[in-house]
Amino acid sequence: MVSKEEIMKIAILSKLFVADDEIDSLTEDMDKIIQFADTINNAGAEGDDFDNINNLSNVLREDEVVESYDREKILSNAKDQDEGCFMVKNIMK
Amino acid sequence: MKYEMVAGFETHVELSTNTKIFCSCTTQFGGEPNTHCCPVCIGLPGTLPKLNKRVVEYAIKAGLATNCEIAEISKMDRKNYCYPDLPKAYQISQFDKPLCEHGYIPLSNGRKIRLTRIHIEEDAGKLVHSRGNTLVDYNRGGVPLIEIVSEPDIRSIDEAREYVEKLQLIMRYIGVSDCKMQEGSMRCDVNISVRPVGSERLGTRTEIKNMNSITFIAKAMEYEFNRQVDLLESGEKVVQETLRYDDVTNTTSSMRGKEDANDYRYFRDPDLVTINVPRERVEEIKKTLPELPIAKQQRYIDELGLPETDAALLTKYRKIAEFYEKAIEGTKNPKTAANFIIGQIFSSLENESEKEQFNIKITPEALSELIKLIDSGKIRMNLAKSTLDKMLETGKKPSELLSDSDLAGLDENTFNELCQKAVESNPGAVADYKNGKQKAVKALVGFVMKNSRGKADALKAEKKIIEIIG
Repeated sequence: MVSKEEIMKIAILSKLFVADDEIDSLTEDMDKIIQFADTINNAGAEGDDFDNINNLSNVLREDEVVESYDREKILSNAKDQDEGCFMVKNIMK
Repeated sequence: MKYEMVAGFETHVELSTNTKIFCSCTTQFGGEPNTHCCPVCIGLPGTLPKLNKRVVEYAIKAGLATNCEIAEISKMDRKNYCYPDLPKAYQISQFDKPLCEHGYIPLSNGRKIRLTRIHIEEDAGKLVHSRGNTLVDYNRGGVPLIEIVSEPDIRSIDEAREYVEKLQLIMRYIGVSDCKMQEGSMRCDVNISVRPVGSERLGTRTEIKNMNSITFIAKAMEYEFNRQVDLLESGEKVVQETLRYDDVTNTTSSMRGKEDANDYRYFRDPDLVTINVPRERVEEIKKTLPELPIAKQQRYIDELGLPETDAALLTKYRKIAEFYEKAIEGTKNPKTAANFIIGQIFSSLENESEKEQFNIKITPEALSELIKLIDSGKIRMNLAKSTLDKMLETGKKPSELLSDSDLAGLDENTFNELCQKAVESNPGAVADYKNGKQKAVKALVGFVMKNSRGKADALKAEKKIIEIIG
């Protein structure tokens, strides 16, 4: 069972606002989602190797420098920026 | 009660590849913020990371040089945590199938510090805290690292220091990293606990994060050891926590509380395929490894007959060892070259970084030429020393600096005449000597040395002078 506290924690991590009256229904939904994900445990895949189903290995690149992007482009999706950097709220308490 | 320190290290070493681990941006240190970035290393959705071949090669080299087993099958995993220095909210690292496992670093006291594993991963970006905000620079994000994890085998600060120095030495020798601690290309986390001497059980440990100097590591470990002993002695318990070391106050303080004890929810990164390391490839890489510093040092002691301190100094940097080995080719006494390098050549270099670069004006062949002149008795040590000083200054070869008369040696007649002259022109010193002041003879020998331009044999001159005085 998912707890209300866990829902609140996930909401905060995802930067989502959850109103008080939404918590109960969201908790129920999350329970269903996790139950659905659990069906994979009944798939009966014993002995099969799911670790590398595409059977690919060693897709590697040579160590050769390619020019990086313009900083303007790199920062173009940033919510805030300053001094050529992404800016976020102070994380140090 | 007496307590013993138990410590293990997690050491991050930045690999000196040209490009980042999963994209082709440069790994160059410095640069304007966010100018070494692309959609892959700033974690934009829909981008596909592709592993740098050289990262795998360097990690295998590091593993072989530290006596590790190299995995045949390895893979990349996502380590999930949320912090602004990590744009994807996960770090691509390795969890249960690291590239290298079960190695060790031998210490000079005969103990071995076992290595649990060496894995490859990406570095995080750099955060700068300014005016209530945090600025993020992703230039370092995606720079390849190896993390070298040791078992809790370290028992003292001296062992810790030697362990870190040896790692640094090995990684530099094999050319996978410059290991500049002050620039952050080598950083250590230390797990440390204490227990009563004789006890087999491990105590509760704390982890001191991210230290970038051997001096700080030593100080932090000393502080933390005493803090934990004090806690236990006063009947309290050590709390398992992550600590930060403050080099200004020389104390440790808690970084994060126990309440968000980390669950990284590791899982395989589906964007990156399996790494397969055929045994032939391991053998190929093994062949490219140079003789390692620890083996080299032992060989200098066993085969060349050098004292341990000389062997350690000469093998500390690869360039110096290579220079030394070339300089002794064809010479008779390996100790002479060692003395010249450790004495005169080292004193012409200002600091450790100059020693590491070893940019000196003379070639090993020129030093070898000088030593051969000594070996064959053509010049004496005094003259050799002053010649070497001139060589270091001008970059000239001995043959360009020494005249024919320098190399001609001193014939018996001239030698006898000089000794006679020394006695005749220094009546004061002769009188002193006759009055029992034995040391006075040195002044007379000095006269002979000076007037023969260092070519006379000082011992022989002393004998001869005493004979003349009678």
